[in-house]
Amino acid sequence: MKDSREKDIRRKIDAYIKGSLGEEEIQGLWNEFAKDPELLDLLELEVNLKEIIERESGTAGSEDVAPIRKLPKWTWHAAAAAAIILVALVQFFRVDSPATLDQLVVQNIEPSQIETSNAVRAAKDMRITSADSLLNLGFQAFLSGNDDRALDLYEEVIANYNEEPYGSKAYLNKGIIHYNEFEFQTAIHSFEQALERVEDSRMITEKAYWYLGNALVNIGELEEARVAVTKTYQLDGVFRSPAFRLLKKLNQELGYSDYEEVDQVD
Amino acid sequence: MDYSKFVDAVLNNDESMITEQVKVITAVLIKFLTVRMNASFEDAQDCAQNTLLIALEKIRNDDLTHPDALINYLFTTSKHEYFKVLSKDREVNYEELPEHHSANADQLHRLVNKEKMSLLKRCMEALKSDYRKYIEFWFQNPGYETSVVADHFGISVNNAWTKKHRIINVLKECIEKKFQK
Repeated sequence: MKDSREKDIRRKIDAYIKGSLGEEEIQGLWNEFAKDPELLDLLELEVNLKEIIERESGTAGSEDVAPIRKLPKWTWHAAAAAAIILVALVQFFRVDSPATLDQLVVQNIEPSQIETSNAVRAAKDMRITSADSLLNLGFQAFLSGNDDRALDLYEEVIANYNEEPYGSKAYLNKGIIHYNEFEFQTAIHSFEQALERVEDSRMITEKAYWYLGNALVNIGELEEARVAVTKTYQLDGVFRSPAFRLLKKLNQELGYSDYEEVDQVD
Repeated sequence: MDYSKFVDAVLNNDESMITEQVKVITAVLIKFLTVRMNASFEDAQDCAQNTLLIALEKIRNDDLTHPDALINYLFTTSKHEYFKVLSKDREVNYEELPEHHSANADQLHRLVNKEKMSLLKRCMEALKSDYRKYIEFWFQNPGYETSVVADHFGISVNNAWTKKHRIINVLKECIEKKFQK
């Protein structure tokens, strides 16, 4: 699958930077760079990032690697005892553990979120247009890991059947694929396009707002993310609970202490 | 980059496609020669150009059609071209290629670029504080296994990788934005 292949290459880039790849593996990696020069940009970015961080921490040019010191055995017993006491205390007081923003953000959008033709979801409506077929083929390509093919098919829907519900579905699906590939800027554009086009579909609207909000968090646009997540929450649909949790966290991060707006809708 | 399309373009004399793809391949070969062979930018540029001329000829003669074979051929030929530059008057033994000139991790130092660093620095300043702490920890401790980083931040190993990739993507997008401005 393209995703796992890319993950593997990115791990190799990390190993290359840390000097732990053999000659053959390095040449293999360069072959990958030749096939996809954008990966070479990633390598450059990471090399420069490492350099900045090393310079700032005063370790540039040093070969020293921070040692991992082993603790004496008794420390582990003490730590285990402390952990048990802590767990008991947490249970006793029912303290909510504060989740980080990263933990609340959608990591990977499930294939079931992809929009297909209505006939697939509701068998009673069996009228399938060409645009429906393209959406279904896109879903099939996505499930087979052929993201590029799926994106091409959705582009075809947009180019030739830019009417509702096809345009918004195609854009939403494009956004989901880009999101899972960490291409958040492109994903944001697609979700916004889906929202611009959607007519009378609460589900598409809700998905587009929810994933738009998540993508915006991923690029650090927290104010804009808050607007999108609030809309999701207000739609009062399947994403209401996660939207509420994310919204609370966003308010906290942005220094908004007034939850009145949310509570009123609640 | 689809090398079978490149082969087709050469065989069909599709000039605009050839120019477009040659530009991409040349950039990769130049970086390969500067990083792996410690070539100067000018030497790398000359060698990359010669390599492509040779490869185009090979493709036209139908001697080189398979994409993987083409990639290997490009790298090997560019190395040979660089060795020719190094030993202008001497005869080069093409069978035994000398090893690279420095340790693998050091080679990468040639990718350090002041302009990119300054953009990257600005993007780092705009990172969320937990992202910044995370990536600093990652690169300040290159000897740590990912599991150690994951333990340190209380996340799974998979999430540790995902988080690292995510931060790199955020920085990449930020740099692209700044380049466009």
